[in-house]
Amino acid sequence: MHDIKSLEELGVVSVAVATTEFRIAANSQSQALGYEPALVFVAHPIQDRTNAELRALAEGAFEEIVAALTSQAGEPR
Amino acid sequence: MKLLDDGLVAVVKRDCPTCELVVPVLRSIDRSAPPLEVYVQDDPHYDEGLRNVVDDHELETSYLLDVETVPTLIRVRGGAEVSRIVGWNRDEWRSLTGIADLGDALPAQRPGCGSKTRDPGMPARLKVRYGETGLGSRLIELPGDVDPEEACFDRGWTDGLPVVPPTQERVLDMLTGTARSPGEIVAVIPPNLVPCSVEKVAINAVMAGCKPEYMPVVLAVIETACRAEFGLHGVLATTNAVAPAVMINGPIARAIGMNAKGNVFGQGNRANATIGRTLQLVVRNVGGGRPGEIDRAVFGSPAKYTFCFAEDEEDQRWESYAVSLGYSPQQSTVTIFPGDGNTPVIDHTARTPEELCRSFAGCLRAVYNPGHVVQLQAFLAVGGEHQQVFYQAGWSKARVKEELLKLLLVPMSEVVPGRAGTDGLEEWQVAAKDGFVPKFATGPLNIIRAGGSAGKYSAIISGIGGNKTIRPVTGEIKL
Amino acid sequence: MNSVQILLDPTAETAAVSQPRIARVPSLEGRTVGLLDIAKPRADEFIDRLDELLRARGLAVKRYRKRAFMERAAPELKQKIRAECDVVIEALAD
Repeated sequence: MHDIKSLEELGVVSVAVATTEFRIAANSQSQALGYEPALVFVAHPIQDRTNAELRALAEGAFEEIVAALTSQAGEPR
Repeated sequence: MKLLDDGLVAVVKRDCPTCELVVPVLRSIDRSAPPLEVYVQDDPHYDEGLRNVVDDHELETSYLLDVETVPTLIRVRGGAEVSRIVGWNRDEWRSLTGIADLGDALPAQRPGCGSKTRDPGMPARLKVRYGETGLGSRLIELPGDVDPEEACFDRGWTDGLPVVPPTQERVLDMLTGTARSPGEIVAVIPPNLVPCSVEKVAINAVMAGCKPEYMPVVLAVIETACRAEFGLHGVLATTNAVAPAVMINGPIARAIGMNAKGNVFGQGNRANATIGRTLQLVVRNVGGGRPGEIDRAVFGSPAKYTFCFAEDEEDQRWESYAVSLGYSPQQSTVTIFPGDGNTPVIDHTARTPEELCRSFAGCLRAVYNPGHVVQLQAFLAVGGEHQQVFYQAGWSKARVKEELLKLLLVPMSEVVPGRAGTDGLEEWQVAAKDGFVPKFATGPLNIIRAGGSAGKYSAIISGIGGNKTIRPVTGEIKL
Repeated sequence: MNSVQILLDPTAETAAVSQPRIARVPSLEGRTVGLLDIAKPRADEFIDRLDELLRARGLAVKRYRKRAFMERAAPELKQKIRAECDVVIEALAD
């Protein structure tokens, strides 16, 4: 979260991709930092997925990621 | 809190001999002149013989009833308080309750104890919990699992060192150090020219680590530093290393335990450290003055964390800086001046004031550059042992200064254009190529006393500016 | 401790309590996209696929990787991203 915040402070439009497991921590960190980045969530888990599954996750999230960089659609849900 | 409509209310705590004493009295009242509600501040098992005992260990009722002493007995009529008595006094209790033989077996009177609402720290906590804090600043809510110290760092509120998280309780406590109202505007803070209230100062004072008793000094520091003649904006928005230095004169310095002696410019003294730090934090947080933004300092210095001290006024043979300006010794003042830090002067051998002044002059001549004569000033802090050389010869501060200025004449041929060239010098000075110009041509040389007495050292605090801009300013500290 | 902690704002209160994210770009066309790997295991496969999809759209892509997940990204890395990219996608926190 800190990284994304400082990248945006440098002027780089950013989006972070995280698994749904991260949702609560993301909210907590947002409040602590006073900053809410654009976030896209993908299904948990990651560690034990096959390569094919990971690629599919990326394809599934792709449009949302692009939208989060090009509109205000990247709202944390 | 909902009190009964008509009857008697008692507020007690078990840990109070007088409250224990009146247990049989309360039982009598409960039997013969109910209703009686008894609020207990600590142990709800205060007495099993009473019918309406209410647990008030959260102190909500005690706070809202403004109880200062226990036991307190209150007559309520139509839901409103009609009268109250504190402590045990047989005549008063008989009169309030209308029970003629109340407390026959007891001594005639016994004073009460302090209410738990007055325990250390409790007034502020209860005000926050149940009352109106009277604070107007925005509230920042943090989740319970967040470290508040880290949050202060994350939000950019610190100078790089940890700060004390400014809770409402701590800020209320800090405000007890001043009678001024929290909403009163103290000064307009550069660089963003933001009006700053007493409350905002208190919040930053909490973060800096101040004690409430420092508040009158802190408020005077902020006010004085923001006066136009000092030109705080210039001090902040420079490529120079300078920091605003803070010097305190008068009785307040000793009263709050400031250091004027050994390691006077260094660490270890809470008042010195935190008062100076508050100024920096206010400039940063309220004024918006931060390194890399308006603050373009190439080097900076540790003095930009905090640079605050008291002048050593112990020896009566020299007058203090404040007295030399016309203040009385009973007044307390703050002087703000530009300070780069501490440039030591070492002289272990001089026995006479003339010799010592020659040493001082050699070091003073070198400030910024031997040929730099415009837009600079200095405070010369004469250390303990060096002071003795002057006292023993009967030299006043003024005499020392006179001698130094005589020695500090720079040949015009050696004058190097400073930031503003020769701006500030008289035309004839510039024209007279074989002439001399004073080192401190456009800014003051001030003499103060500070530092320990175990060593033959003095110190030069150099600074930019001078007579036209960034002048030392002095303000009175109102208690 | 579950309860909310409250601090008083020491600043001039000109900034939002929660800093808003900066304005989005109108479109990715002609822009360089940075992909920042935050060094969690298995994320690279995910990021590789994003890389392919971005390039398939004709976009320029640059890859970066943090030294370690637990650390903040080094200032030099952030400066590099700033210098080389218009937008950045950070992945994948789990």
